[in-house]
Amino acid sequence: MSYDIAQKELMYSGHVACPGCGAPMAMRYALKALGEDTVLIIPASCWSIIAGPFPYSAVQVPLLHTAFATGGAVASGVKAGLEARGLKDTTVMTWAGDGGTFDIGLQALSAAVERNEDFIYVCYDNEAYMNTGIQRSSATPWGAWTTTTPVRHPKERPKKDIVAIMAAHRIPYTATATVAYPEDLTRKVLKAKSIRGAKFLHVLSPCPSGWKSEPAQSVLLSRLAVQSAAFPLYEVENGDKYTISVWPKEKVPVIEYLKLQGRFAHLGAQDIAYIQEYVDSEWKKLVAKAVASGQSVPS
Amino acid sequence: MSDTIVFESEEQMPHLPMSVGTTLYNKTGSWRYVRPVYRNRTSPCNHVCPAGEDIVDYLGLVKHGQYEAALRRILEENPFPGVCGRVCPHPCESECNRAQLGGAIAIHAVERFLADLPQARQLPRLEASAPSGASVAVIGSGPAGLSCAYQLARRGYEVTVFEAAPHLGGLMRLGIPSYRLPREVLDKEIEAIAALGVEMRTGMRLGDNLRWEDLQQYPAVLVAIGQHVSRRLNVPGEDRQGVLPGLDFLRRVNLGERVSVGPRVAVIGGGNTAMDAARSALRLGAAQVRVLYRRSRHEMPAVADEVQETEQEGIQIEFLTAPVKVLSNGSAVCKLQCVRMRLGAPDESGRRRPEPISGSEFTLEVDTVITALGQETNLDLVADRMECAHGLLVSSNAAEASPLGEGAWRKGLFVAGDAATGYGTVAHAVGSGKRAALAIDRYLRGEALDGFPALGDPVRVAARDVDPTVVRFEDLNLAYFEEETPTLQGQRPAAERVGDFDEVNLGFAPDQAGREAERCFSCGTCNECDTCWLYCPDVCILHRDGSGYEINYDYCKGCGICAQECPRVAITMEEELKWNK
Amino acid sequence: MEQVIMGNHAVSYGVQLSRVHVIAAYPITPQTQIVEMLSEFCADGLLDAKFIKVESEHSAMAAVIGASSAGVRSFTATSGHGLALMHEMLHWAAGARLPIVLANVNRAMGPGWSVWTEQSDSLAQRDTGWLQFYCETNQEVVDTVIQSFKIAETVLMPVMLVLDAFVLSHTQEPVDIPDQEAVDAFLPPYIPKVRLQPGEGHAFGGLVAPDNYMELRYKMQKAMDEAVGVTKQVGAEFGKAFGRNYDVLERYRMDDAEIALVTCSSITSTSRVVVDELRAVGEKVGLVKMRMFRPFPFEAVRQALSGVEKAAIIDRNISFGQGGVFASEIKAALYDSPQQPVVFPFIIGLGGRDVTPESIRGIVRHVQEHDRPEGEIIWREVRR
Repeated sequence: MSYDIAQKELMYSGHVACPGCGAPMAMRYALKALGEDTVLIIPASCWSIIAGPFPYSAVQVPLLHTAFATGGAVASGVKAGLEARGLKDTTVMTWAGDGGTFDIGLQALSAAVERNEDFIYVCYDNEAYMNTGIQRSSATPWGAWTTTTPVRHPKERPKKDIVAIMAAHRIPYTATATVAYPEDLTRKVLKAKSIRGAKFLHVLSPCPSGWKSEPAQSVLLSRLAVQSAAFPLYEVENGDKYTISVWPKEKVPVIEYLKLQGRFAHLGAQDIAYIQEYVDSEWKKLVAKAVASGQSVPS
Repeated sequence: MSDTIVFESEEQMPHLPMSVGTTLYNKTGSWRYVRPVYRNRTSPCNHVCPAGEDIVDYLGLVKHGQYEAALRRILEENPFPGVCGRVCPHPCESECNRAQLGGAIAIHAVERFLADLPQARQLPRLEASAPSGASVAVIGSGPAGLSCAYQLARRGYEVTVFEAAPHLGGLMRLGIPSYRLPREVLDKEIEAIAALGVEMRTGMRLGDNLRWEDLQQYPAVLVAIGQHVSRRLNVPGEDRQGVLPGLDFLRRVNLGERVSVGPRVAVIGGGNTAMDAARSALRLGAAQVRVLYRRSRHEMPAVADEVQETEQEGIQIEFLTAPVKVLSNGSAVCKLQCVRMRLGAPDESGRRRPEPISGSEFTLEVDTVITALGQETNLDLVADRMECAHGLLVSSNAAEASPLGEGAWRKGLFVAGDAATGYGTVAHAVGSGKRAALAIDRYLRGEALDGFPALGDPVRVAARDVDPTVVRFEDLNLAYFEEETPTLQGQRPAAERVGDFDEVNLGFAPDQAGREAERCFSCGTCNECDTCWLYCPDVCILHRDGSGYEINYDYCKGCGICAQECPRVAITMEEELKWNK
Repeated sequence: MEQVIMGNHAVSYGVQLSRVHVIAAYPITPQTQIVEMLSEFCADGLLDAKFIKVESEHSAMAAVIGASSAGVRSFTATSGHGLALMHEMLHWAAGARLPIVLANVNRAMGPGWSVWTEQSDSLAQRDTGWLQFYCETNQEVVDTVIQSFKIAETVLMPVMLVLDAFVLSHTQEPVDIPDQEAVDAFLPPYIPKVRLQPGEGHAFGGLVAPDNYMELRYKMQKAMDEAVGVTKQVGAEFGKAFGRNYDVLERYRMDDAEIALVTCSSITSTSRVVVDELRAVGEKVGLVKMRMFRPFPFEAVRQALSGVEKAAIIDRNISFGQGGVFASEIKAALYDSPQQPVVFPFIIGLGGRDVTPESIRGIVRHVQEHDRPEGEIIWREVRR
């Protein structure tokens, strides 16, 4: 075995994710890390459909589908219920999209983590409302095309910094992850599982359908996102200790990441430069936070 | 669990929308129009190995500590890993893709490590295919002849090897000094071939005590007489005492004679023979040894490692220098008149032709001149029997030598090695001899030779089914590889080693061989790294019992992530035309 | 144990006695005392429950759906706008077949802000699949909480019990609080077969295509149909255990009534007084108290109203563009009855405007003086 990943599969084939979708990849890794003693909660998102229609399921663990805004609230109730039955160690994991996390689900999420409910909240982020046909969310990055931010009027606001929001709640553990780094993702899921309290994972999940990219390139895109620092991998403990997980050996110019996605095809050189500047300055800030937390920059 | 569920009435349904089955009912394989297939491609090392070794495969075995199996893989194709691991110019390493990310794999050192494994050498036999009573004569016990003898003997043929010299091995013994190739190593590899039942007869010289008539009893004969004639210098004074043809010099040294040389020695040439002659002269006590080469370092045919070792030993190489005249004082050589050269237009070999710079003549004080300007076949031995061209034996079709006319000879005459190809390396000779053996086997079993690989084409005994496309560096997925520098085998320090003929290179320890094998990209060859299994979004790649992977095409959507991420181009996406069915 | 308690606290006692395990609620006037007392019960160890202090009513219902799905008895309480905010999730709880109990303090909807009693909030949720019980007294409140869990857990549909804002919620009445032992005997622990259980990999609530959806809805309606009988049965059992019988509706002095007042909630108490008064002077007036509104008790309503000439339906609610909800549903129930009273649909008391005995007397007079109602709505005590 070349990878430090559990062999046992807890997700079935036959699910209806688009070819090349990052979301089932992320779920597969998360379930491998968590094992069978897990209850999944899925608010409205692509995974509501990926999981298969009644009377079928694509995962081996119990799964509670729920309404869009309720990821944080339902998890709180499920956890309370399981604990009342004596199942104190069962992992409760909400698996929500960016819409159900950044937008309509933000309130319930904020409340649940503010109460430090003992659950893992994973936001698998494909950066738009993909299930309903690619409409913008507050997770859509600046400049991206979506059906509600068409090419003549692309998204003008930067991507909402959900990790900062979570960190501001001072929860025990917040981290980013993505599908090109499965060992990093599973390590973080396991770390979350070992902590009592609220844990939040922000997982970048490439979407060939919505990003207008090649299905075969989803892992490549996910890797480029990290290597260009467009989506850095890091952890925040208790709201203020920052640790960068992957230091790109040589920061790849962000255009290498953007040019593989049709949703950015309309951007001109100035736009790309603007994005590069933004990515660079955000990376610098993150590095400063990591250094202030005691991490040393690798040579 | 994987059937479609249909509820005949509401009573059969659960009272709430709860699943009772899994998505395995849904064969998403119907979605795709391209499908991934595991299809190994050709690694560049395999592509160029003149002996036809499956390098990428045996490196994979070394990586897993399976040394015996790795050695066996080599022995299928080449019975001389101990020799090749030491003396081969390793074109595999020149083509190795790892060269572009840290440095080529030290394949030769790994091969030597395997050859040096202490267990007794037992060459693997094959299912006997020889028709009963089939016997073959092999003329020449160099690498070509012995490789052919091995491949035939392991198939059950009766083989007799005729060797003119008193010892077996051809140029392996006579041309390569023991500090590069210890005698015990060579002896062990030759003995293993003899142990298969090959009859070895030394002191049998073709045209002398071995006549063509004596060979009539053999239904097939291989002529593998090599190239033992040194090319002449063609300068005045060449035939004086003190001017030694390189091959003759080396033969005497390698047979144990303490040839008297020096104190000042000049070696003319730029190939391995020149390096061998120079370093041998040094070890025989010459105070100063110089090599004169008429072209530049860039054009030297000698293996780079060897040139480096030569220079480390204090031997100076004078580039763009050529001898013009040998001067002697009475009967002893005392001077060598030389001229400086410059490179002009390319000649027919593609290399730039050296031109003397007039007025640049100078004289060197020398006592011994050794010439190493290349070898030729002694065609006198066969000229009345076989067609020759450009100094080489001609092969008329893919397999057979060209006998001269009806009366001169008959079918069943084969050629191999330097005498036929002029390539000049042990590995080429091994490959050539193997090819001849396979041709002879076909011929003796009554099969046609049409379409058989031509002389000089690669031939494998135990070939894997592999796509002929060669994997280049740009094809690899570099996300999976870090820059890693090679491990070097130990080497005796120059000052110490020039005093004797003991081996200079010390070989690899197992962990070193392992480290090199770990660095191998396994170009084009699945080595079960699990990357495809890891990334499949549809859980369609399954570990197959035994080895490798199986794709569950019932569900594979053809996304192509496996092929894209495979670090080593071992997966191909094929179009799947379902709508035509 | 007899105590004089407010309606909200009656809810709290009912919940405590029912040994609820998870409560999730968001404060809203006039519900707050329910959850405040429950918090104290939890803090004092008098109730072994987790109280999730959610950040909205939508989340409150979501949380109890989560808890109930995990297989434990769960409860929430709300009012007015809070109930309205829960609307999406009320549908969800019913479709998920979860035996959740919710106490709703009937409150008028804004704008303008109103905290006073009106039935529009709960009636606006009548399509969601929740059972609805309207309580007349604080005694009925505590008794109905306990019965609600039993009924819910039998038919596997959620139950809403409703009490008037301030008139009941904040008004102290004498209540006989049942013994814990007696309640335990009446209401066993909730141990469902179907729940979230590690090791049992079911998915709940996934996509249902048209080829299966209707059957699931059919089953929900079937459960509702069953709920009528179950309610009667549970009400009778309760009577045996605690001495107070309950039914889907109550007929008061209806035997020879010519005019029937149809009321629910606290207006019923007021109406009883007026009926007694009128009977004392020979008026043939009776009272039908609607207790269960969902499922709609068609049989009981038809039987109760078949003999009367006129029925005065008192709606403390309005469905804009239509009229009083009780009136509309009762008329629909009577449509196929061979003997139909003339129905006078009154709307009164919106936004908590007081409904006094005089209001009731006025209604009876109006019915006596008119052969037919003059419109779809008979507005009472509106300044026009």
